Amino acid sequence: MNSHELFLVHTGEVIEEGGLTLGQLCHACDVHAEWVISLVEESIIEPQGETIQYWRFSGTSLGRVRAALRLQRDLGVNLAGIALALDLLEEIENLRLQMHVAERG
Amino acid sequence: MMEYKDYYKIMGLAREASQDDIKRSYRKLARKYHPDVSKEADAEAKFKELGEAYEVLKDPEKRAAYDQLGANWQAGQDFRPPPNWAEGFEFSGGGFTSGDAGAFSDFFEQLFGKAGFHTSGKATRGGPARGQDSHAKIHINLVDSFLGATRSITLSAPEMDAQGHVQVKHRTLNIKIPKGIKEGQHIRLTGQGHPGEGGGKNGDLFLEIAFNKHSFYRVSEADIYLDLPVSPWEAALGTKIKVPTPEGSVDLKIPANSKQGSKLRLKGRGLPGQAPGDLYVVLQITLPSAETEKAKAAYQKLQQELDFNPRKSLGV
Repeated sequence: MNSHELFLVHTGEVIEEGGLTLGQLCHACDVHAEWVISLVEESIIEPQGETIQYWRFSGTSLGRVRAALRLQRDLGVNLAGIALALDLLEEIENLRLQMHVAERG
Repeated sequence: MMEYKDYYKIMGLAREASQDDIKRSYRKLARKYHPDVSKEADAEAKFKELGEAYEVLKDPEKRAAYDQLGANWQAGQDFRPPPNWAEGFEFSGGGFTSGDAGAFSDFFEQLFGKAGFHTSGKATRGGPARGQDSHAKIHINLVDSFLGATRSITLSAPEMDAQGHVQVKHRTLNIKIPKGIKEGQHIRLTGQGHPGEGGGKNGDLFLEIAFNKHSFYRVSEADIYLDLPVSPWEAALGTKIKVPTPEGSVDLKIPANSKQGSKLRLKGRGLPGQAPGDLYVVLQITLPSAETEKAKAAYQKLQQELDFNPRKSLGV
């Protein structure tokens, strides 16, 4: 690495709502489109857009697909189980935050 | 020098455990320590350790070889494999497929080698292939989202050299943190992922944003919460006080008869952006202690003057 690279600052782009196509999401998570489609069918992730070629996914979907992949791989959870686990985890996260807000009362 | 790892102890099993016991124990502990599910502080390290132990014990070949080391080793003891180690064992196929082999310990590598370290598992293709995308998490401070910032992160990834040896390569990237970024959002850095093959493009790097805990602000999406201590008379009589915000202090009007836990909203004082968040001030009524004669007298005066029963709703 030369000194020029040391001071190089990389500017990325923030993935906003509807920032990723199906292909980009699949590549980013290294999974097949069929599997992502099955996640959409199970409402684990919810793209914007009516038909597959117009589907656009948010950065949050990226996190959920990767979590789904880990749950399936590490714990052998099926799609319905993944959907349930992710929803419950989200609820716990919200409750924790509310509790945290309320607890110093 | 490396430490002996007691895979049975890690999995909470006796050495005579059956393959079924091993599977059951793995499932149970994996649920407990899975980093997506667990809130245990060292869940990630525990889960990696568990994955490594399971990788060895679930595979009868590897388990037999490991058992051959004998039961007299203590976890953490300095370990050197015996001279004729693994003679007659052939670690074929099994394993390395599921776990993240890159995360396994030196102990594991010494015993079972670094086989199966091909990064993507894809067969070499003739034509150019785009490199894999990679992922990392970056922890920033709340103020970085307010002002924008530059953060440098060090990424490590196993890479294979021309001789087929695997080395962990580190590289440091300076990253611009855009103003208004929220927890859980991703930044994509085009071309900063794994290198492409056969002249293919590099993959992208996705950075997930996480916030470091702040000593008094809490963040939820774009909104910020602040617990604000107030005295009983400030809450009862109302007043104007200074409150901190990440952009400097502002004056806040406390209405008379404010209750414990009341939420006051400072519109647009949350994280910046197209739709900026709000700052919620949560009132925490703080009692002065009755340590001095003067304070005691003041409390006694209140007691005499006010007909106040805080337990009225309990019917006593």
